[in-house]
Amino acid sequence: MHLDLRYPIGLLLTTYGVILAIQGAVVEAKVLGLNVNLYWGAAMTVCGLAALYLARRKRS
Amino acid sequence: MHLASIDILLIAIYGAFVLAIGFLLRRQMVGSAEFFLAGRSMPAWVAGLAFLSANLGAQEMIGMAASGAKYGILTSHFYWVGAIPAMAFVGVFMMPFYYGSHARSVPEYLKLRFDEKTRGFNALTFAVMTVFSSGISMYAMGALLALLLGWNIHACIAASAVVVLLYIVLGGLTSAIYNEVLQFFLIVFGFTPVVYLGLRDAGGWAGLAARVPDTFVHSWSYLGRADANPMGVEWFGMVMGLGFVLSFGYWCTDFLVVQRAMAADSMNAARRTPLIAAVPKMLFPFLVIVPGIIALGLTLHPNAGSAPLLPRLADGTYDYNMALPLMMSRYYPAGLLGLGLTALLASFMSGMAGNVTAFNTVWTFDIYQSYIRPRQSDAHYLWMGRMATVFGVLVSMATAYAAMRFNNIMDMLQLVFSFVNAPLFATFLLGMFWKRTTGHGAFWGLVAGTGAAALHYELTGVAGAASLLPKIAVVHAYPSDMAQNFWGAIVAWTTCFVATVAISLATRPKPESDLRGLVFGLTPRSTSPELSWHQRPAVLAGLVLTLTLALNILFW
Repeated sequence: MHLDLRYPIGLLLTTYGVILAIQGAVVEAKVLGLNVNLYWGAAMTVCGLAALYLARRKRS
Repeated sequence: MHLASIDILLIAIYGAFVLAIGFLLRRQMVGSAEFFLAGRSMPAWVAGLAFLSANLGAQEMIGMAASGAKYGILTSHFYWVGAIPAMAFVGVFMMPFYYGSHARSVPEYLKLRFDEKTRGFNALTFAVMTVFSSGISMYAMGALLALLLGWNIHACIAASAVVVLLYIVLGGLTSAIYNEVLQFFLIVFGFTPVVYLGLRDAGGWAGLAARVPDTFVHSWSYLGRADANPMGVEWFGMVMGLGFVLSFGYWCTDFLVVQRAMAADSMNAARRTPLIAAVPKMLFPFLVIVPGIIALGLTLHPNAGSAPLLPRLADGTYDYNMALPLMMSRYYPAGLLGLGLTALLASFMSGMAGNVTAFNTVWTFDIYQSYIRPRQSDAHYLWMGRMATVFGVLVSMATAYAAMRFNNIMDMLQLVFSFVNAPLFATFLLGMFWKRTTGHGAFWGLVAGTGAAALHYELTGVAGAASLLPKIAVVHAYPSDMAQNFWGAIVAWTTCFVATVAISLATRPKPESDLRGLVFGLTPRSTSPELSWHQRPAVLAGLVLTLTLALNILFW
């Protein structure tokens, strides 16, 4: 079995992204008027899912 | 700095990931080639990101931000002058010999190209140096966490040692490389918000430039004279000392980074490894140096209603090392703070893992197999590699404790090692591109270069600064220790170059039949016309160098 590195990368970024986004949605801690947890969590989730998509596409 | 439970959760998830990768890779570790060389199976992008991250320890991140606060954008020379050209060179010109020779380590290449004593010299100094630097960074990180978070320094050292030990014993070099790539993404995601928020707070680049001295936002304009810029270095010392001797010496010969390229899955991938690494490398100043400049800007001219960012030390200077942690604690709410700290922890652990994997390889192949127990089974050397990993981590811990008690001794050791490193590139350059270079020439050239570096240090001083080692006499005083360091490297390199050429001409060269695949001119050129442009090392190198030039002009 060869472990495709895109899986752990995608999984880690998605996990972090979702946790941050939830934190941002629940506790609205604004920095310079921005809900940074929410926005950055969403961005990380998108990147994480993209890595997972690339890993899956390679396999099939 | 206070951590919320969400921050702890993010750090714990990272720890679980690292260990899980080690366990998943365990079954792949069937022989020494898998354990030490990752089975030579890494795709170019994985090897490339690992090549970059192996060098980005936490000390580097903290240090670059500190240097940004102290010297400004001049610090980017450590990237744009002091890394990119050498990375392009090693990919295009040197990798064909490293990868093509099938050497398993840099010292082994020296053995194939020159002789046993040159390998022994390089292997021993490298092995000792890597475990020491891993221990020193272990101590630095433990001390930082103790200061920032009030964690127990002994617990920090023990916990990081156990995690690193486990994932390397389980997954070998593959584990180390995978975690380095993860670390790369964590750094990008963990540091980008601090740069964005900091710049937004400071009023963009223009607003920041108005807050700091003009020398802090120009990389070349003030390099005409050493006394015109905060680094105390002039352009020649910068370009020749840092850009040529030190940078090529590190990026082209240090096994810690070259090992990542040797693990690539093909010659072409190995050559592209440093070139792929160069792209993020040239952008990293924005991630690691700019936060330091922002920290200084918000200290000299804070916004209305907020306190200066950097605290002062007892001697009245700013505590530059706190630049990055304090930027994070100012701009990151619970959640993002956990991510930022995880990025720091990840770079610390993979920096240490990089040292340990390079150490166990050099120890097992170049010392144990060569001098202690040759001709054993592959399983025996695999076992030895795991033992060497345990040993390397234990010595690192011992070094960390020694650094805690005797900080000065560690600084002296690092200074002595820098004497050994300075001339190395001359040996490799001659060895790879001049077939007449002999083993005696290489070895005695290295000894002469090391001696010249030590002698240069003994005979020069730094204006207004105390010296680490007692001096014979001070015949020349440099404006800064950086200038002394750069010029010492130039002296060492030149001495090694001249001595190697002279001794080589007086001794008998190896027959050409022994040098095939090791030296330029005796190695068939790899020409593969079917490669598309983005797979050609020379095209990539040209692209990387052009972009770097553009960045230099942009921040001139």
